[in-house]
Amino acid sequence: MRASRRRFLAVGGLAAGGMLLELATDGRLRIAGRALAAAGGASDPSFRPFAWLAIEPGGRTLVTIGRVEMGQGTRTSLPMLVAEELDADWERVAVETAEPGPEFPEMRTSGSWSVGGRYRSLRQMGARARAALIAAAAARWRVPAGACSTQPGQVVHAASGRSLGYGALAAAAAAAPLPANVPLKDPKQFRLLGRRTPRRDAPAIVTGTARYGLDARVPGMRFASLERCPVAGGKLLSFDASAARRVPGVRDVVRLGDSLAVVADHTWAAFSGRRVLEARWDEGALASFDSRAYRAQLAEASGRRGTPGRVVGGAEAAVASAARRLDALYEYPFFVHAPLEPMNALAHVRDGRCELWLGTQAPNWVQEDVAHRLGFEPSAVRVHVQLLGGGFGRRLGVEHAVEAAELSRAIGAPVQVVWTREDDMRHGFFQPAAAHRMAAGLDASGRLAAWWHREASSGQNFRGRVDPADPDLAANLMWGGVDNPYVLPVMRAEFVLVEAPIALGPWRAVFAPSNVMARECFVDEIAHATGRDPVQLRLDLLAANDDADAAQRSRRARLAAVIRLASEKAGWGRPLPAGRARGIAAHVYDGETTLAQVAEVSIDGGHLLVHRFVCAIDCGPVVNPLGLEAQVESGVVWGLSQVLCNDVSFKNGRAEISNFGDYPIPRLPETPVIETFAIEGASQPLGAGEQPAAPVAAAVLNALFAATGKRVRHLPVREADLA
Amino acid sequence: MAPVRLTVNGVARDVDVAPDMPLLWVLRDVLQLTGTKYGCGAGFCGACAVRMGDRVVRSCQLSIAEAAGKSFVTIEHLAAAGGASVQKAWIEADAAHCGYCQAGLLIAASVLAESKSPLDDDAIDAALGVHLCRCGSYPRVRLAMKLVAAGLKKKG
Repeated sequence: MRASRRRFLAVGGLAAGGMLLELATDGRLRIAGRALAAAGGASDPSFRPFAWLAIEPGGRTLVTIGRVEMGQGTRTSLPMLVAEELDADWERVAVETAEPGPEFPEMRTSGSWSVGGRYRSLRQMGARARAALIAAAAARWRVPAGACSTQPGQVVHAASGRSLGYGALAAAAAAAPLPANVPLKDPKQFRLLGRRTPRRDAPAIVTGTARYGLDARVPGMRFASLERCPVAGGKLLSFDASAARRVPGVRDVVRLGDSLAVVADHTWAAFSGRRVLEARWDEGALASFDSRAYRAQLAEASGRRGTPGRVVGGAEAAVASAARRLDALYEYPFFVHAPLEPMNALAHVRDGRCELWLGTQAPNWVQEDVAHRLGFEPSAVRVHVQLLGGGFGRRLGVEHAVEAAELSRAIGAPVQVVWTREDDMRHGFFQPAAAHRMAAGLDASGRLAAWWHREASSGQNFRGRVDPADPDLAANLMWGGVDNPYVLPVMRAEFVLVEAPIALGPWRAVFAPSNVMARECFVDEIAHATGRDPVQLRLDLLAANDDADAAQRSRRARLAAVIRLASEKAGWGRPLPAGRARGIAAHVYDGETTLAQVAEVSIDGGHLLVHRFVCAIDCGPVVNPLGLEAQVESGVVWGLSQVLCNDVSFKNGRAEISNFGDYPIPRLPETPVIETFAIEGASQPLGAGEQPAAPVAAAVLNALFAATGKRVRHLPVREADLA
Repeated sequence: MAPVRLTVNGVARDVDVAPDMPLLWVLRDVLQLTGTKYGCGAGFCGACAVRMGDRVVRSCQLSIAEAAGKSFVTIEHLAAAGGASVQKAWIEADAAHCGYCQAGLLIAASVLAESKSPLDDDAIDAALGVHLCRCGSYPRVRLAMKLVAAGLKKKG
């Protein structure tokens, strides 16, 4: 992020009236200080040294965050980084979400990288602004800057006992050059970072005033619901909208490509109109897609040669010639995100411009894709990012925004496109299914001599197809497989691409849950087959940690540390009540965050009960421990949905789910006690939003085996698996 | 059709819409009370829960015809309707994640808090276990409810 320092110009005669025009770096003029001017008061501008940060004359610090909030806590954690170094008064820090554009060219919020990616730069912004405020105060008092310090929200000159609030210094700071090369605080001096800090939006949430995409309202708006071909990619052949048009409140039925939009005065009228639409479809090529057949294809393909991802020695031969060989096939199904807030977008196209209000993880993609579809310049598209009622990767998709914009243009009015829950479940993009063919060669003493992991799956095609000839196919898609963290003298990880014709896209922790399930369960199988303790085997597989690569040594050491911590905190090896058992799984996510989880389960009345989850995580210095715990808990419940609930099957090209009745998610009573323990081993903050979801399934399946002796090698666990 | 009169947050409102329109959409699209959320439209998730007297009702499952003459409290009016201690506990426990589903949980929690039954885990499971949260806020929701039960005793 470049430092887009703004300048303030007093323009001609207007200046006498106290009005300032603000020249933004994008060249647009905006009127600033108008309210003050109208009141005839002073025209002190804000000090806005960066697009992310403004100190207002009234003393409020405004942090404009170029990331979105979807429950992961960016509206709390990112302002903490600025406020720490600025020495802002946290009670007077306001937060707004940025708009995509030249000042915020990349707001995409994914990959669990909001805090890690901004840890230094946001602190630097705060530190430089603080230095500017100190310089302004020192100049006013005619004392050396070095004689001044700060207390939250003010500059202090201890020798004379004078102090000035940041607001009173904003104009002077804005007029002077911004200091560079300002040192950052020693972490020992942190006031805010590392403190349990409650979510900033909590008061708005509990009073119903927090605004999500679906809550956006503008005068004269309509509501619309779109009927689509039940099979993705199908064509609309003909339709009869006469009954739909007669539904009270329905304004119009508009064809939008191969969809039909029912435009109405209320959402309910739009939904009602849809129910009486008559449409004939050419369902197209996907109409023959059947997930059972596809998954059989995956299982078969996993026995073939794939694109190699990581190869050390000759695994195939080593497995074949080993004293003992273990084989297992793990199967991972399709899932759908199902955030509680269904997809929606409000768009208003007029006079060659478009404004949108929605929750999105990819504001710039919304801007670009809408502009492209409408034939506008991106600068003609404004995106007002609302709170997201869940993201999880799903809101990286922007199709609902594009259809809202097209519809608004077609009807000449602002319109909110609302997907029903059923639309959201059936027409989302799905987590790719996979088959993992695992083979291990053991030597005569039972030691793991060779590891062979073949994955058959598809890639994510939600923003373009996957190139089957890409030599990096395995490296790109086999997260947790190619970067298997254990010391394996002979290993091969390879990927067989079997494209699925449905829409596929990123999931929480992307491809890791699939590979980690197979890998961590298979390690468990090896432990039990060779009579070794699953925790000890993992530690043994990390013991010969003499890799030439220091980063690899470090992450293995950090993985071993969380395995030790989780097993110790969980009481690994200690007796449990009858019928209960523990299972462990561990992972290094993307070479960075290390985590280990111990699940404690039992079977009761044919149901798998998960009682306790002990999680140890090393994601470096923790900015907000309360936020970290929330993310770990969230990831565990997310992972449990994959084990305990349902998957998505397809028949005749249709997703065979409709709502939370047939695609349930975990509820409060089945949520275990979740304990989080952090080690600050890494030197920089690393991701924690997706990571905790990755090992959950394996920890539960391993505990299930320990409890019952049944090795379940698929998700979800069904009653028949327990019988 | 004749307008329907109902009381929302202590105010009498006359609504002239199709009789089958669920209360949810009347609140959101007609009365501009968007704090009540649409999650599933089928009674599964509880995001749309509102209070009707001392009952929790799913506003997506109650037509405006059925709502006629009744009195409702939505999240926007929860503090005034005796729910302030629940809201305070929710903030103290940092219960919400994305927050989208929380209105329904808070409504249910406020009814539970006023019930005479002991606020043990079973009671919490029964009253709040019918609400869905995709973020998995459940451990903190349970904690928040226990704070309510403990008379807002300060978190240790």
